[in-house]
Amino acid sequence: MTVATRKPPELRRPRTSGKTGDLPRKVFSSSIMWLLAVVYGFPALWFVLSSLKPAGDLFTYPLTLLPKHFTFSGYTQAWSSFNFAQYFLNTLIVATAATLLTILASAASGYALAKYNSWWLKGFTICIIATTMLPGETLLTPLFLVIRDLGLYNSLAGVVVPAVITATGTFMFRQFFVTVPNDLLEQARIDGSSELAIFLRIMLPLARPIMLTLAIISFQWRWNDYLWPLVILNDPHQFTLQIGVASIVGAQNVNWSVLLGASVLSMIPLVAIYLIFQKYVMNADINAGLKD
Amino acid sequence: MEIVNIPNDGYQDKLKQAAQANSLPDTASVPSLDNLWVNQLQDLSSIANAPANNINKNLITAKDNKVLAIPSDVTAAGLFINKSLFDKAKVSYPTDPSQTWTWDQFLAATDKVRTATKSKYDLVYDNSPARIRAWVYTRGGKGFQLSGDKFAAPDATTVQALSDFAKINNDVIMPKSVWTSGADPNALFKSGQVVAYYSGVWQVADFADSITNFEWVSAPTPAQPVHATDINLGGKVVAFNNSKTAAAAKQWVDFLYQPANYTKLASANGYLPIESGLTLTYPFTKKAALDSFALYNKEISLADPLSYSGQANQTKLLLDGKATSEDPTKVEMAKLINGQQDVQKTVDNIVSGLNAGL
Amino acid sequence: MVDSDQRPRPSPGDSADRPPEPIRRGPFTRVRRRNSYVLTPLLLISANLILFALFFIWPAAIGLYYSFTSYTGVGSAPPVGLQNYQNLFHDADFYAALLRTFVYAACVVPTTFVASLGVAYLLISPYAKGKPLARTIFFVPWLISPIIAGVIWRWIFGENFGLVNFIIIKLGGDAVPWQSNANLSLIIVIIAATWGNTAFNMLIFTAALKNVPTAYYEAAELDGANAWQKFRRITLPAIAPTSFIVILLTTLGAMKEYPLFRAINDGGPGTENNLIVQYIYKTGFRNAHIGYASAASFVLMFILMIIAGIQLMINRRRES
Repeated sequence: MTVATRKPPELRRPRTSGKTGDLPRKVFSSSIMWLLAVVYGFPALWFVLSSLKPAGDLFTYPLTLLPKHFTFSGYTQAWSSFNFAQYFLNTLIVATAATLLTILASAASGYALAKYNSWWLKGFTICIIATTMLPGETLLTPLFLVIRDLGLYNSLAGVVVPAVITATGTFMFRQFFVTVPNDLLEQARIDGSSELAIFLRIMLPLARPIMLTLAIISFQWRWNDYLWPLVILNDPHQFTLQIGVASIVGAQNVNWSVLLGASVLSMIPLVAIYLIFQKYVMNADINAGLKD
Repeated sequence: MEIVNIPNDGYQDKLKQAAQANSLPDTASVPSLDNLWVNQLQDLSSIANAPANNINKNLITAKDNKVLAIPSDVTAAGLFINKSLFDKAKVSYPTDPSQTWTWDQFLAATDKVRTATKSKYDLVYDNSPARIRAWVYTRGGKGFQLSGDKFAAPDATTVQALSDFAKINNDVIMPKSVWTSGADPNALFKSGQVVAYYSGVWQVADFADSITNFEWVSAPTPAQPVHATDINLGGKVVAFNNSKTAAAAKQWVDFLYQPANYTKLASANGYLPIESGLTLTYPFTKKAALDSFALYNKEISLADPLSYSGQANQTKLLLDGKATSEDPTKVEMAKLINGQQDVQKTVDNIVSGLNAGL
Repeated sequence: MVDSDQRPRPSPGDSADRPPEPIRRGPFTRVRRRNSYVLTPLLLISANLILFALFFIWPAAIGLYYSFTSYTGVGSAPPVGLQNYQNLFHDADFYAALLRTFVYAACVVPTTFVASLGVAYLLISPYAKGKPLARTIFFVPWLISPIIAGVIWRWIFGENFGLVNFIIIKLGGDAVPWQSNANLSLIIVIIAATWGNTAFNMLIFTAALKNVPTAYYEAAELDGANAWQKFRRITLPAIAPTSFIVILLTTLGAMKEYPLFRAINDGGPGTENNLIVQYIYKTGFRNAHIGYASAASFVLMFILMIIAGIQLMINRRRES
């Protein structure tokens, strides 16, 4: 049973380094990309630089991009304004658990929707799409009642479990598995593998880049969840990071330098995860199983 | 004794859900009472009426002789001015609330300062129904008051006052973007390009730390001709009737309001005290901040009793078991200033919006 | 649903091949094969099915029940039949919000699609230099919460002291009313939304783009195709299912947008940029008219189903 995971050399993307005719292409592509990067990066840059400004300089006119005086006071105040380390850990637990479960559930469902055909599977597709059609707050109180009746109130499980089902994840996997040729499936069946074994041993490993992409996405979603953890968790030792960050926003006024510092701090782990996982995705040759 | 800091955004929702899950805290300082759990509150009258505490009775939430909530602090709306700009333009301003200016005099002065110093705007005004009450009261209007069980249509002075307010939101005196699309007046004032800012006492602590590029002071609220402001509460301290901890909860609230302890609380947090006769030493070093508190205390003592009516109406309705709806003033005034409707329609909509759940 | 943002999903449009007919070896084998096609998919979707029933159907049913009552969040829920729906259909503000929502979605979906696909394409191109750093730069905007995004975009396009107006004035022009003009304000939100959502769709497109067999590109090169032709004739069709899902989910997400509007212009100026979810919050939840808000939510859901249905039909027709 062979699955091509590395393409024979002839089929890889042509290596172009060293060919002089590609210089205009390189310049063109690079310029456009960097132009876009500047446009996208400028607002974010202002945000990060503002977090390094002392509070009195945040709103001065005329406007400045660079801080006149660099200071980390926003960050140090943010770190000490709530139990940063504990909330960080809680959020890490929630995000990791939810991401693992989400990947498994979405991969399984996506595969089923892609490779099997029944009227009730098509119906389930509609159901999954439907989950994106109600605004969050409509479901907040009813969902809360469900969680309460299931006994999951005031637990991290109550934060994790409702978040596992995702239409995006399911369809990412579905679309991917659709491109996996059915010959693979048939060959495995003829070889006598059970359906589940095919899924677990053959299909799932193929989908590793999709898993990592969904991991990045799911992690970000759970990391930035605010209202739901706030409502579900009563024990402050279980609070998540966004609850802590939001507690900086006062009822009547906002301590901006602390808020900016806290926001930057809470974004750092996400960037780290992204860099690690995305590197793998970019380097992978996904091209599942297409062999001549 | 564990103190939990809950963010303001979503706090009310959280209390609702906690009530439905039977996990209310023992005591809390809440933004406002909720019909869902108001009958689970303990009676705090022994604390509120204790003569040693000297609590301002105007702001107590009482029903059937039971005191359900005691404010943690008093708040009042008030005026801030950019002293550096006033000095630069060599324009003077009153410092004593009993000798305050009229709105016309105030706007004339700020006009002068603005043109002399080439600043952007005369005034920015907090986008809030509570703050606009101060404008209406000081101009002689009675605002939106309860008549029996429902809100009545306001008097002509009020209508005129709202119309005048919309007129000065003309991007010369005041920027439209604050009241029409939620621009932050606090940030605008801090830019140093606005001559005055009408907000309230809660800004003092923030300004003391974060305004470093110009000098600011609190100035008396203009009166035309009524001395008034909007007097409100910070948080409402309540004690819940959670079986095992009820007694301890009440003891904690009692402890909180003993003058010696309350003095420490109010000083540390920069509160205007709900108890009178205390000597507070605020942690501010800036003279402007200390003077500000003194000014607010004086303004409150001079203020027309009407100033308490805003929060009193809301509280009364809540205790009568009515579901309170969000004050539609903000949205309706936004539409008025944006030119979507005239002032009469605005006023009618506000009244019907306030009466929506009643 | 706790799914925090509405994101594009791959296409349910049917490009799956049917599993070929089982080899007829004997009655027992056939039965066994057919059973495994029922049991296995059922088992595979079981997790999502249970979660769906518990955390979507159950709460949605409660919500639907509320929509036929005058529930205020406290006490009992007296039934009022179709009253909420009738009030809804007579409310001019509802239609205004709905129209504005359509306008917003019609603008933001194309911009998001083009931006995300373009960025993804550049990021897997072998010609662009400095990709790791660029990748991070494109990713960061997605992490920024609406409240901070509001501050950033108000700073850049602030009508009073914003950066763009500052530059315009310095160059001799007049300040542009970015907040006081409803359409300009909408454009700012569209820019901010595209900026923030690019990374998410970019991730999905990246995975899809990498999945296009290079053999196709090779063949095209041999035929002398240039970059644009390759893109149009090979890339776009190959990622069509993904494109479809990105468009579908971006549309659904745009129709439900609220936090970004609240942060950037608070639905203003006045109420001119109130979208449908803000309408639901304002008239329903803020005013303790839970029944009414639920009714409006289900009407929204119905509208979204129609939109999804239309897109699915178009996709099916395109594929056949």
